[in-house]
Amino acid sequence: MDTRVDRYSLVTSLENIVGKDAVFTRAADLLVYEYDGSVDGAVETAMPAAVALPTTAQQVADIVLLARRANLPVVARGAGTGLSGGAVPQQGGIIIGLTRMNRILEIDRDDRTALVEPGVINLELSEATIPHRFFFAPDPSSQKACTIGGNVAENSGGPHCLKYGVTSNHILGLEVVLPDGRIVWTGGRAAGISGYDLTGAMVGSEGMLGIVTKALVRLTPMPEATLVLLAPFADIDSASHATTRIISAGIVPAALEMMDNLTIQAVEPAYHAGYPMDAGAVLLIEIDGIADDVRGTGEEIATICAEAGATEVRSATSQAERDLLWKGRKMALGAMGRLAPNYYLHDTVVPRSKLPATLRRVDEISRDFDLPIANVFHAGDGNLHPLMLFDRRIAGSTERVLEASKEIITYCVEVGGALSGEHGIGTEKSGYMTMVYTADDLAAMAGLKNSFDPAGMFNPDKIFPKGYMCGEVRALRMQAMAQKLGIHAL
Amino acid sequence: MPSNESRVESRKSRERTGSIDGIVADEVVAPEDPQAVAAVLADAAACGHAVAPVGGGTALGLGNPPERIDLILSTLNLGGIIDYEPSDLVLSIGAGARFGDVQAVLGEHGQRLPLDPPGGADATIGGLIATARWGPLRYSNGTLRDLLIGIAVAHPSGTVSHAGGMVVKNVTGYDMPRLYLGSLGTLGVVVSANFKVLPRPRAEATIVASFHGAEEAFSQGNRLRGGREPLAALEVALVDDRWLLAARIEGRERTVDDVAGRVAAFCGGDIVRQNGWSSAEWWAEYVSRQQPTAGDHSVIVRCGGRPKETAILAAGIVAAMDTIDVAVPSLAASPGLGTVVARLELGAVGSRERLAGVQDVLLGLADTATILAAPPSWKQGLDVWGRLPEGFDVMQSLRQQFDPARTVNPGRFAGFL
Ligand SMILES: Cc1cc2nc3c(=O)[nH]c(=O)nc-3n(C[C@H](O)[C@H](O)[C@H](O)COP(=O)(O)OP(=O)(O)OC[C@H]3O[C@@H](n4cnc5c(N)ncnc54)[C@H](O)[C@@H]3O)c2cc1C
Repeated sequence: MDTRVDRYSLVTSLENIVGKDAVFTRAADLLVYEYDGSVDGAVETAMPAAVALPTTAQQVADIVLLARRANLPVVARGAGTGLSGGAVPQQGGIIIGLTRMNRILEIDRDDRTALVEPGVINLELSEATIPHRFFFAPDPSSQKACTIGGNVAENSGGPHCLKYGVTSNHILGLEVVLPDGRIVWTGGRAAGISGYDLTGAMVGSEGMLGIVTKALVRLTPMPEATLVLLAPFADIDSASHATTRIISAGIVPAALEMMDNLTIQAVEPAYHAGYPMDAGAVLLIEIDGIADDVRGTGEEIATICAEAGATEVRSATSQAERDLLWKGRKMALGAMGRLAPNYYLHDTVVPRSKLPATLRRVDEISRDFDLPIANVFHAGDGNLHPLMLFDRRIAGSTERVLEASKEIITYCVEVGGALSGEHGIGTEKSGYMTMVYTADDLAAMAGLKNSFDPAGMFNPDKIFPKGYMCGEVRALRMQAMAQKLGIHAL
Repeated sequence: MPSNESRVESRKSRERTGSIDGIVADEVVAPEDPQAVAAVLADAAACGHAVAPVGGGTALGLGNPPERIDLILSTLNLGGIIDYEPSDLVLSIGAGARFGDVQAVLGEHGQRLPLDPPGGADATIGGLIATARWGPLRYSNGTLRDLLIGIAVAHPSGTVSHAGGMVVKNVTGYDMPRLYLGSLGTLGVVVSANFKVLPRPRAEATIVASFHGAEEAFSQGNRLRGGREPLAALEVALVDDRWLLAARIEGRERTVDDVAGRVAAFCGGDIVRQNGWSSAEWWAEYVSRQQPTAGDHSVIVRCGGRPKETAILAAGIVAAMDTIDVAVPSLAASPGLGTVVARLELGAVGSRERLAGVQDVLLGLADTATILAAPPSWKQGLDVWGRLPEGFDVMQSLRQQFDPARTVNPGRFAGFL
């Protein structure tokens, strides 16, 4: 910390900005802020110097200016459900918690937009818009807890992103506090705003470019008809082949999710969703649109599934039946506690035609490492979530889990996949970035970071490999670039 | 350092001189691979030269007149398909590929990019990305922004960077593809791009209802928009003194038939129904009206506001232009988006001052007002992009980070970046 601002004056300054009841500095109060939803061991924990819970954008800006003077990093935090360590303050500093900025400011039915504060809970936004026959399409499984600000920062997805797209496709504009304390709008209601797409750059930037204080989001009209199909298969292989065939037949379901036998073992006894306990895997497929189309597409999918070896295809049209089928999927993570004390939920993506082979490889890795792995994931997007079950108390088990994850990542990258489909890089996967990106690729990303935050004040040590953004490396890179350009005084 | 070889290589494919907005370049190069593009850029940066990338040449009039051009960089040698996996519905393609050719290849597999930008078949993929153009299909399918999953860009630093990949969902690092989209080359020259593609609809139809007044056309349009019929596009347009309401329907055969029937019955007015090919052609012609025709004095502007106020914006433009003696021979409004694209005739006395006056009036009516096309001499000194965006200094830093010598397209982008 800069000596110009000692701890005492930091606390009083924060209290002056947000009020006494909105500043936390005692170790006991800070404990929860050392973590997010990630697994201990996969992500290092770190303690902030202070946590402040502002209620206005101006307060956020004032805290940022204070942090600047004190030379302290700033980390934005929503609900802390992130799974890649994004909200963990690697270098300490001030956490700006946005949970008290939780108002839905406007729902505009004609323009099909909602203006919300960043602390609004994802599900609450949909619940508020459903009476108007609209919903907010991104639906992460954590939607009962996670915030819109967190969704924006991680570019979160969910089951229905197969048809409707991820968070980025639903953000029209953002009010952002920049590292210099200014409050600016990017994007907006009107099309054709000039200049670079700063909204596009902000979404998925993991809190490293700016702090979102308002979001203008797109609302999606509720479909006329919805059908959910449940197709059990004898094994994962035939379920993944069915997935590949549905996609290559040019059908775009609203959602296409897979759960394997281990998942069913955890979920079915807990929620009685109706998944056959002896199935090797089930596909849960939702189709929506106008009634005729839904019926026709449903029949096509049922045929493909049957040809791929589905033991039956059950369809649910009533809201209650559909909800029950979905309940098992949505509660799957919660049910894992029945199988093991700890789990590590992994997130990678592969081209959809590579699903069958990838799942076979995951199974191999599970056997090689003697580690049960459940698969419950967004099959239609090729977005895997291998879920490793373990007991942290057993010595060496966390290390084994990390080794196995590395194997999985390596395979996914080899077949043309990506490190993360929706959970982000954070610190969890920053070490893997060089596996998919060259130094030049990372330099371009650094160029974006430096344009917003040249001092590296917002959420340091995320996304980039350790040490990458430190002064020395940056200086070397600048030198190399200057040489290339034939400029010497850079 | 760019090798001499690559420079020689590029010179070999040298075509002829070229010009943008009347500014002539001495040299045209057409590099054959991404690394050679980067070498050309680095070379130019080192010499303080200005480079203007050119693809299909369908939107060269977009933007402010270039401050200078020393070199035109044609992307046409960066064509081919890099990777196409029909079963994965993903495509990787060189920036120089023509949009029409790409659609033809996809069409063989019953797939497409659901886009209908002005400039159409002749535009290159790189050009479409650089200008981020869209057409009426945005109503249901969004834009390139929703389809772009990966990109490779050659930078004036002499490097080629990649971002994204060949998967449909990806948060591995910052979303660089969206940053480059619409940046008009000012952060680097797009050399290839990856897309998520979609199945081609099995059938399509278009219902065109024609009305005497704008009000009726818009009110029916708004009711259609608020209703439940699934439309691929919905436009209200002024063509030959008639106001048209056009609805495009895509999907399964039976659905298209049913929906088209219901829409036609709903619209009232004089109805014309087009099916299949003729529906597609109707839209191709519709969009082509938003393209400047070579050599004429047409001014094309695009204004944007709140979607629910599209009718007010369109009427406002017609009325305001009337008071300053500017004719509006045709106009296309997108009620789902809040935009109005209008062709304006400033008459024989058109001038820079007149155009500036028009822009002022439009900025008073709309949130955004972009001059998409105008005679170069009228554009001098104007920022055709309209209002300076918020966060402009961040944009300046971006330009500084990616292209410190302002090598690519100096002056052409928003705020004369
Ligand atoms: C059980 C469970 C299931 C999950 N399922 C899914 C899923 O299906 N799909 C999915 O995509 N994710 C899922 N996640 C991950 C997580 O819920 C999402 O990433 C979510 O968007 C994070 O929101 P949050 O409010 O908890 O953010 P946090 O965890 O608090 O923060 C995440 C990141 O966002 C930044 N941030 C937060 N608010 C702001 C702001 N206002 N401005 C700028 N930056 C900000 C933080 O700095 C951090 O980098 C799941 C998590 C759990 C625990």
